[in-house]
Amino acid sequence: MASDIQTWVRVAAFVGGGIAMGVGAIGAAVGEGYSAACANSAISRNPKSAGEIFKAMLVGQAIAESAAIFALVIAMLLLFSKFPTDSYVMVAVLLSAGICMGLGAIGSGIGSGFPTGAACIGISRQPGIGKRLTTNMLIGSAVCQTPSIFSMVVSFILLFTDFSQQPLLPTFAALVGAGLSAGLGSIGPSLGGGLVAQAGCEGIARQPTRSTALTNIMLLGQAVSQTTAVYGLLISFILLFKGVPDSPAIAPAAALLAAGICMGFAAIGPGIGEGYVGQKAVDAMARNEDVTAVITRTMLVGQAVTESTGIYGMVIALVLIFVV
Amino acid sequence: MEELGRIHQLIVPMFGYKVVFNLETIVMTWIVITILTLFGTLAARKRNMIPHAIQVIGELFIAQFGGLVKDALDDDEMAKKYTPLICSLFLFLMLSNWLGIIPRLEEPTKDLNTPLGLGVLGFFIAHYAGIKAKGIKDYLLGYCEPFFFMMPLNVVGELAKVVSISFRLFGNIMGGSIIIMVVSYLTYSVLLPPFLNLFFGMFVGTIQAFVFTMLTIVYISVQVK
Repeated sequence: MASDIQTWVRVAAFVGGGIAMGVGAIGAAVGEGYSAACANSAISRNPKSAGEIFKAMLVGQAIAESAAIFALVIAMLLLFSKFPTDSYVMVAVLLSAGICMGLGAIGSGIGSGFPTGAACIGISRQPGIGKRLTTNMLIGSAVCQTPSIFSMVVSFILLFTDFSQQPLLPTFAALVGAGLSAGLGSIGPSLGGGLVAQAGCEGIARQPTRSTALTNIMLLGQAVSQTTAVYGLLISFILLFKGVPDSPAIAPAAALLAAGICMGFAAIGPGIGEGYVGQKAVDAMARNEDVTAVITRTMLVGQAVTESTGIYGMVIALVLIFVV
Repeated sequence: MEELGRIHQLIVPMFGYKVVFNLETIVMTWIVITILTLFGTLAARKRNMIPHAIQVIGELFIAQFGGLVKDALDDDEMAKKYTPLICSLFLFLMLSNWLGIIPRLEEPTKDLNTPLGLGVLGFFIAHYAGIKAKGIKDYLLGYCEPFFFMMPLNVVGELAKVVSISFRLFGNIMGGSIIIMVVSYLTYSVLLPPFLNLFFGMFVGTIQAFVFTMLTIVYISVQVK
């Protein structure tokens, strides 16, 4: 059995491509299913606006699909591109690119489904503001895609930067850690962003006169929910570009891998939690417009406290990279 | 595909250090500044009670952002002070993000230095406003909440704000331009790229410019209160 570098690089490309598309397909399908389900119940409630609801559903599903399309692009590149086969580091590059994009697409797909569903139900309640709702839904789901765009950036940097001159042992761990940090870190924040956008669409259907203020606060809530995905991106950039010294010892390599795992997992919870905060804040604003300022402040403080565990994760990851 | 991640740099040795200029970013930033200056001059020229077309656009921006800043800061005096900053920040970012639509031009925001610089600017302005509004003692005591030993984490949290605001913009714009480049390469620039430019350049670009601006206002208002 031949086990030269070339074989292993090809193996890694196939496995990476498989993981990218397989895992990347989970989220988009769930999100699209949710939007279609909501569209059905919306049409049964208000059959007259079936056409408009159907259109909103299709547009929303197309946005939810884009995360899976990113994964498809990465998978195709992994399967059909010719990669240099002069070093074992390439194995880590290809595996990590696949894992990063696959994991990164889960959350965005599911998250984008929430606003689409809420917009469909909203149109059935308030057929007059269909256009406004669709715009808000588009904005909300586009912001949900941010984390999956981050993981795609990391995958592309992995694929198109030349790491082959770097020493195998620490680099291997750093690259896999970078992929895990950006990929895992995307799951929670995009789910949370989806929850906020859902509340935004529901709120506009409830209070069409305050749609601009609701869209603004929705954007704010989504942006803050996605902060931990940005931390994941930051840690993975540091892991990619720090330039590790050559050492045969296994402990420094393990520290780099652990930094990626630490940041990746630490980003999941705060993303979802901050999403809950934003969701209820937007909902409350749509119900009681007199207390907007207090709600915004409470939302921001609550999200900051929720985020503190994500900051612990980032601190430990930075300690693992630079101190240990 | 080879141009991915390549930056044209001018490296000038100065006092024993290497000073690096990212030429493309500087040129593109100046293009944005020129367009904005032109727009501002045209909007403010021959002001009238019955406004001309460009004056209407200018007034629209100022009224919108003036309202936003006033809502966030809850204070007329301060809102008047910070509206020009917030308004020009948004216009600069929006135009920067749109610039990539034109072939051969690039978004200055695609270079991490631009968002990071604006993030640091916002950070200092927010903290200056905080010190000015609360006084230095209350400002420093704010870090010791809820307990004194939480201070290091509060400081890290403040610094993390700069990281998160700038990397969010950078990642989105960089990601959009990579997708456009790769898809153009895969489809030989047929059919798809214009739609992607519309989505990632104009739509996502505007949203992210707005998010950056909103977060800057919010950081100021959190410090002030």
